Amino acid sequence: MAFVEIKNLTKYYGELCAVDHLNISVEEGEIFGLIGPNGAGKSTTLHVITTLTDFDKGEVIIDGLDLRKDKVKIKQLIGMVPQDIAVYDHLTALENVKFFASLYGLRGKELTKASKEALDFVGLSDRLSLKPKHMSGGMKRRLNIACGIAHGPKFIVMDEPTVGVDAQSREHILNSIQILRERGATVIYTSHYMNEVEIICNRIAIIDKGKLVASGTKHQLVSLVTDVQSVYIHAKLPMGFLAEDFMKRLRNMPDVKAVSMKDYMFRIDIIMKENGISRIVEQFIQQGISIISIKSEEPDLDTMFLTLTGHDLR
Amino acid sequence: MFSIIIKETREFIREKTNLFFFLVFPVVLVFLLGTLLGSMDQAEETVGEIKLQYIIETEDPIQRMAIEKFIETTEEEGKIFFEESNNLSVARGLASKDDITAVLVFTKDPLKIEIYEGRNHIKNRAVSALMNSFIQMNQTVMTIMNVNPEQLMDLEHIPWEENLIQKDLGVNRTMIDYYAIVMIAMISFMSIILGCYCFLGERQSKTLNRLIISPQSRVYLFLQKILGMVPQVVLQISIIMVISVFAFNANYARTFKDNLYLFFMFLMVTMALISIGVVIGLVIKKNPMVVLFPFLWIMMFLGGTFSKEVHIKGLSEFLPTYQVQQGAFDLAIFGRYHRANIIILISSIILVLSIFIGVYLFRRKEGEQ
Repeated sequence: MAFVEIKNLTKYYGELCAVDHLNISVEEGEIFGLIGPNGAGKSTTLHVITTLTDFDKGEVIIDGLDLRKDKVKIKQLIGMVPQDIAVYDHLTALENVKFFASLYGLRGKELTKASKEALDFVGLSDRLSLKPKHMSGGMKRRLNIACGIAHGPKFIVMDEPTVGVDAQSREHILNSIQILRERGATVIYTSHYMNEVEIICNRIAIIDKGKLVASGTKHQLVSLVTDVQSVYIHAKLPMGFLAEDFMKRLRNMPDVKAVSMKDYMFRIDIIMKENGISRIVEQFIQQGISIISIKSEEPDLDTMFLTLTGHDLR
Repeated sequence: MFSIIIKETREFIREKTNLFFFLVFPVVLVFLLGTLLGSMDQAEETVGEIKLQYIIETEDPIQRMAIEKFIETTEEEGKIFFEESNNLSVARGLASKDDITAVLVFTKDPLKIEIYEGRNHIKNRAVSALMNSFIQMNQTVMTIMNVNPEQLMDLEHIPWEENLIQKDLGVNRTMIDYYAIVMIAMISFMSIILGCYCFLGERQSKTLNRLIISPQSRVYLFLQKILGMVPQVVLQISIIMVISVFAFNANYARTFKDNLYLFFMFLMVTMALISIGVVIGLVIKKNPMVVLFPFLWIMMFLGGTFSKEVHIKGLSEFLPTYQVQQGAFDLAIFGRYHRANIIILISSIILVLSIFIGVYLFRRKEGEQ
């Protein structure tokens, strides 16, 4: 059974249907990406999951607990990292983390230890006494994460945790999220940065106008849009090698759609299949061609989103 | 249990604006208003010497004898001096120039006293009180004379002084005392803004959702937030009282018990006002200062917070600021508990009602988008 099971979730704000019969399932220990444009229903879905908002129809099961019946138990499982930096400016980093962790029942030495570990985890162990007003944007973001994870939640909801941070902090945050997953946490992650979602998420759901457009691994999503991928091979040809003959041979291979070459860079469009690229590489090796580099290119999430919804993500 | 209370206190102490508005500002006002306006707006003034000119028009020998006896007895005190005049307009001229306090005319039958007052209104009040007592005594004597004249002989043997025991209030009141009390009333009323920011502040710092998401019950969170205000209120009132007493020599009540009671009354008033503020803060999303600040300042001004001379009959006495201040004065100056008890009772009722309303609103509240 999935760790998070959302079935036919529907939420109205007056006449507006913010979430429309949404179905999502998140497996335990995975990082699940939720993407969609502003107003797509992402935040409302996260608000429902995190018990901030009631819902009108449907069912939400988290770790086998029904959100309608076991709200308090579910709250204990959840760690929230909101999009906005939600910390107290007049408290130090350690005081902030300790305060939020104390709301989950941590006390005394256990509280201090957990808070310091959380700050260490986000790379702020040397900034315990620093107040957020004296921190950089990236440090505030990391403190924001520490406040959400100090109590050791099994389920972490992260709403655009890297907005407005520098590249170094972003990398730190993304690494931290992957470490959390390795430690067993299940993460729902939203972001406007598609490359982030591609890198860290095991599976992705695309929602638009409150409805689920598609969900699956990136590979599965790409296959919804196209079955062709482009493989770029930079090669060093032997003396007197007849490139045209070789390209003709490649074109005659099953699943190869097109072959071209420019400046010793072959571009081969093939139908995406298991071992598809390997078979191409074998041909190069058999002909005694040295391969300098290989790159495969498939449609990115932005392209997929555009194809699936008909409009840009932002 | 205490994490929210500790957090609230830390935030209050570390927020410079709070420290200024709720601690420094009232203390500075106690000092400034108490010392600078003290000479213009005195709480207690020595009446000093009173010089009166009088004209006796009555020809009744008994009345004349009574008047002359009264004048003689009064002059023996050495504070009030009489001089007979035979020209009213000249005497009134002297009074108008403040050369004498007032002119008294004892009219023909029936005996009445006309007072032509001078410029000093405090001395005028003293003269008025003095002549009222004379009229009362005169009427009593005349009544006894008509009914049983022999009894008058016994009056001479009554030791009046022994029956009249004069006691002062135990402290010499100054304007510092007045402002030391009304400034606490002022911060009590200003605390309604603290209440507004109780949840509005969480909303502004985007931390409200984190609180709502936590496994703490909403009722528990709400009560903790309210309880979190108690140390702040205790701190505010204590600091103003201590600084006023030790730095500016202000006097509150005479006894420690009365001072504790005064403290408790202000604590209850402040908590009631904070709870009202909390409810307002849950309902409105805009900056409450824009509406509340002018409203509070007008109410405090008309209630006599900034000067005891500001009093509009039919309006001021209905203002909560005025009632709280009067309750505090009754308790501090006269040791009377009645009005303070009513204020504590009303504050308690408001506090309980506001908590119920606040809990209801907070339980229904959804997270901020």
